[in-house]
Amino acid sequence: MSVEVEVDESDLAEMVEQVWESYLDPEGVSPLIPTYDENQPSEVHSSVSITGSWSGHVVYASSRAAAQRAAAAFLAMELEEVSEEDISDTLGELANIVGGNVKAMLPPGAQLSLPQVVLAPEASARFPNTERISGVYGMWEGEPVSISMWQSSTDNKEEGA
Amino acid sequence: MKILIADDSRVMRQIVVRTLRQAGFGDHDLVEAADGKEALDMATEQKPDLVISDWNMPHLTGIEVLRQLRAAGNNVKFGFVTSECTPEMKSAAEGAGAAFFIVKPFTAERFDEVFAPILG
Repeated sequence: MSVEVEVDESDLAEMVEQVWESYLDPEGVSPLIPTYDENQPSEVHSSVSITGSWSGHVVYASSRAAAQRAAAAFLAMELEEVSEEDISDTLGELANIVGGNVKAMLPPGAQLSLPQVVLAPEASARFPNTERISGVYGMWEGEPVSISMWQSSTDNKEEGA
Repeated sequence: MKILIADDSRVMRQIVVRTLRQAGFGDHDLVEAADGKEALDMATEQKPDLVISDWNMPHLTGIEVLRQLRAAGNNVKFGFVTSECTPEMKSAAEGAGAAFFIVKPFTAERFDEVFAPILG
């Protein structure tokens, strides 16, 4: 059997809140407002993989406008100054921060990958043999943002074909 | 004082620089390294007073940079800013001689708390 998942939705929500408090909404004026809608649309996403004591993925997904806004907040720039590279770097770092915090809550022996960024909807990504086990879904200044965890099934490890 | 900021993420280096300024340490000489190898070279050649390093970086990880510096007799003040934080990592950092361990996401208050005693 797989290890028991020790990271639940309230843990994820707390991590997300810290990210908002530190970088995206330090003034506390534009929080992520929960929608609880796991099917809300996205236009860009980033992910990190975790392997070892727990295996799966942490995925950050949002609209392009929300990613641009996040980059502007991260880099202290005006929205119109934000480049494509700024958006990619910011999305990668968001996946890295949340993934690193998730990893810290897992049993010892987990490895975190470098982030992967795809400027296409989360729905275009496939994580074979995984299921979504938790997530935080919300609107940030009217734009959709989600952070979800996908756990790999353990039956397929070490099996190639 | 000269402060070396080592992180393979350009965005995160900028956030560290900005947070140092927000915490009131913007007057120091800030230099940046984009991976572990560059961090080791710059820490050796430029003799910074403080190194603020990411953990997971290409070529050399932050802890490898710290260990190599100490092995070479370099006792620069060195600490980590990382999104990965486990008890094993913290104890490895302490064992190698790290002065602090800051977990991302961080705030200017956290920087002030950690760096005020170091930077004065």
